[in-house]
Amino acid sequence: MTRREEVISRLGAFGDELLEEIQKNEVPKMKVPQRGLNNVVFNPSTYILELGDKKSTRNYMNLAHTKKFMQSVLIAAKCKELVDRDKTASIRELYYQLKHAIAETKENTFEGQDESDPLIVDLETMLGVLREELHLKADDKGTIIGKITIEDSGDKIDCSKLGRSGLAIPSIVEHYKFSDVKADYVLVIETAAMFDRLVEEKYHINNNCIMMATKGQAARGIRRLVHRINTELKLPVIVFTDGDPWGYYIYSVLKAGSMALAHESRRLGTPNVQFVGMTMTDIKEYGLEKVTEKLKDVDKKRISEIQVYPWFQKKEWKEELQLMVDMGVRLEQQALASKSLEFVAEEYLPEKIKKKKMLP
Amino acid sequence: MDVEATNVKERSADELFKEFKEVSITEFFRKNKAHLGYSGKVRSLTTIIHELVTNSLDACEEAGILPDIEVEIREIASEHYRFLERDNGPGIPVGHISNVFAKMLAGTKFHRNVQLRGQQGIGVSGVTMFCQMTTGKPMRIKTSTGDGKVNAVKLMIDITKNAADILEQTEYSEYWRGTEIECEVKSVKFNLSDTGPYEYLKRTALANPHARIALIDPEGRKTVFERSVDVIPKPPESQKPHPKGIEVDDLVNLSKQTSANKISSFLVGEFSRMSSGKVKEIQELIGKEKKEVKGKIENVYKLDMNRNPRKLTWAECEEIVKAIESIKFLAPATEGLQPIDEEHIMKAVLNILDPEFQFVLTRPPKVYSGGIPFQVEVALAYGGHAGRPVEGGMKVEIMRFANRSPLLFDAGGCALTEAVKDVDWKRYGIKDFDNSPITIFINLISTYIPYTSAGKQTVANEAEVVKEIKFALMDVARKFQMFYSRQRREGEKEARRQMLLKYGTELAEGLARLSEKKVDAKKVYQDLTSLIEEKIKLANELEMLEDAEDENGTAIPLEAQGDELIEGESEEKEE
Repeated sequence: MTRREEVISRLGAFGDELLEEIQKNEVPKMKVPQRGLNNVVFNPSTYILELGDKKSTRNYMNLAHTKKFMQSVLIAAKCKELVDRDKTASIRELYYQLKHAIAETKENTFEGQDESDPLIVDLETMLGVLREELHLKADDKGTIIGKITIEDSGDKIDCSKLGRSGLAIPSIVEHYKFSDVKADYVLVIETAAMFDRLVEEKYHINNNCIMMATKGQAARGIRRLVHRINTELKLPVIVFTDGDPWGYYIYSVLKAGSMALAHESRRLGTPNVQFVGMTMTDIKEYGLEKVTEKLKDVDKKRISEIQVYPWFQKKEWKEELQLMVDMGVRLEQQALASKSLEFVAEEYLPEKIKKKKMLP
Repeated sequence: MDVEATNVKERSADELFKEFKEVSITEFFRKNKAHLGYSGKVRSLTTIIHELVTNSLDACEEAGILPDIEVEIREIASEHYRFLERDNGPGIPVGHISNVFAKMLAGTKFHRNVQLRGQQGIGVSGVTMFCQMTTGKPMRIKTSTGDGKVNAVKLMIDITKNAADILEQTEYSEYWRGTEIECEVKSVKFNLSDTGPYEYLKRTALANPHARIALIDPEGRKTVFERSVDVIPKPPESQKPHPKGIEVDDLVNLSKQTSANKISSFLVGEFSRMSSGKVKEIQELIGKEKKEVKGKIENVYKLDMNRNPRKLTWAECEEIVKAIESIKFLAPATEGLQPIDEEHIMKAVLNILDPEFQFVLTRPPKVYSGGIPFQVEVALAYGGHAGRPVEGGMKVEIMRFANRSPLLFDAGGCALTEAVKDVDWKRYGIKDFDNSPITIFINLISTYIPYTSAGKQTVANEAEVVKEIKFALMDVARKFQMFYSRQRREGEKEARRQMLLKYGTELAEGLARLSEKKVDAKKVYQDLTSLIEEKIKLANELEMLEDAEDENGTAIPLEAQGDELIEGESEEKEE
């Protein structure tokens, strides 16, 4: 059975099970795996964050679940149609396709995407399929630039010949084929501004690497791409973010997976990524004391949250986080500009990478 | 320079006192009618109806007749009416007509220690007086004791003599029994407000379910409050007073009128719960003194209980009353009290208010202020005609009764109103009590209703009375809470059922499309619907079983009941 046939079969079985319950005069129920800190399992040897076995039951007769129950079935039915017809839809288009007034009422099936989006993820986890396999796509997020050619639906795109902007990374990258790769490593950058800085300094050309910008929290498309390039092309991946708990979390998601998509960590996580900066030790090392910023309460709260995540327990990370707490400051990537605009591209990155001054 | 006092003659005391006249009682009434219920135009009319109807009810009750009362009010001109009141009572013997209608402060009701309806009125003579004062017209009375002869009398009051002035008197044959009173009155106003005659009669009907009362108002509308009970209430019994309630002045008067020969037998005979043992206690408390007896100085009791009671001095009576204060007596008998009865109130409430929910409670009799028996009856009605309709909604209606007579006026300072407001209705699920369609009915019965002042319709704040009313109200509120929450639950259940069915249409459609097999969405919906209805039915059955269990375990009563010993220092003195 192809993956496509598998997906269709699972969707059909989902519906049939519910029909059977109704025919047997039993209350229809669906079991949804719980997503959250209390149902994620971190495997320290594989360094992958996975979903545990806990499930919540949604029961049609329970008023708290009834609407969601109905909405889930509508979403599943629509996805089956998309797969059957070999069409894709954005999650927003799906919402519009499904939104209508319920018969004889003034109420709508869906009031906002905030209702349909989480149920799509529920469906993914229930059926063990990726959103992309349900033919649902999200917006593009992130860019890639460098000496790599990507074939996409018959078009060959040379990512080194796209001016300063690079290629926009879509949410589904399953169909990408790679060729003509001339790079030593991949540098994944948090902010678009830093990406632009490095492009202007011709960093990727001078250092023979591929650069990707996540533009904040890495979306599933870029995470999948990082995973594929690392596993298929065997290229090391180095991550470069702001020196604050938010940046560190971005790193951890690239590395081990996220709680929200724990069911996909195997396909979206890249356990052997490494972290080049910004670190707290950089402050003293590079004399950046004057360009730090005080931690806000929300920052401090986030630090204490991530300090207990099982995947932040490596010695080096524990020290860094504690140092951040003690110093009470954060350090942005762009603060390196205080030295000079070229500093990051000509000294900071090359030196740290060459000397392997990186965190695991 | 001397200033001469001009035009002022010195007058002697004799001259001054020539002008001294005794003011007759009727003159007193003229000048103080406001205190006797004739204050304000609407209130005065209601007071008139009150006096007439009260008399009719009392007369019927004492004669063992189920009362049939008709009231007619016709408008002659602005603030000028003719009214008529007719009953099927025993009639008034011809010789007594003058006394009933033209003599103030005469009557059988004033000196009996008994639960009396309408203690606060001055009587029918007041009606004659008021009508005469405002119109100069006489009162017309027709009455017959059922012996075939009807007496028709036209009379007025001679104010200086405090006696009747009979203008006309005839007798004719007709077989009929009862009394009919007709008169004209001015300076009064009829309206449908809650202090007007309509409301008064409606409440009277509620408190007297054995009476049939009809009203024809100035607009010609007839309202009949039908009888809901065919039992004539037992007339309340007269009782001997309890020692704890007596005042020095009363004791003096009683002692002057007794036929007993000794103080001890006077006390035992005159008071309830008094025994020779208690008499001895009184004697002990009053104490001894040194006195010369047959030449020797002896320590003898100050008060010799064998003496003639009619020779008791004021000071001695004072000593007796003081002694009584420190002695324990058994609580007074409460058989003299005649509550309306829970079942009867229920019938009346159902009949007149037709509510969605009602609960009636009669508390056991209690005692206040040391020696006065009282009893509280409470009812709560919700929905239907309960509550007072106002612009924009409903307001709660508090109906107060003292000895079955409605208290319509001066609700503000009344202890009964206070007690209702003191209850925390939110605790029982009534969030906005003041704007709810609720009628609260409180009947306080006692041999002596503690009014705040003469002519007022407010009950004074006696601690024990207020406490009893609050307990009663809370009991009733608790029952209401059970009903109300169940009502809300029903509403919620129906809403849930609607929701499940509503989403069911979409669910059925979705499942039909999802399934690989060819399924008909309509069939799926049918199956789903029958599944939902069945599960709901099962859930309801389970809930009813649980409710039945809850109800059988009744709430623990708030306080133990039974005979209470009254302490010297009343335990209820919590202020």
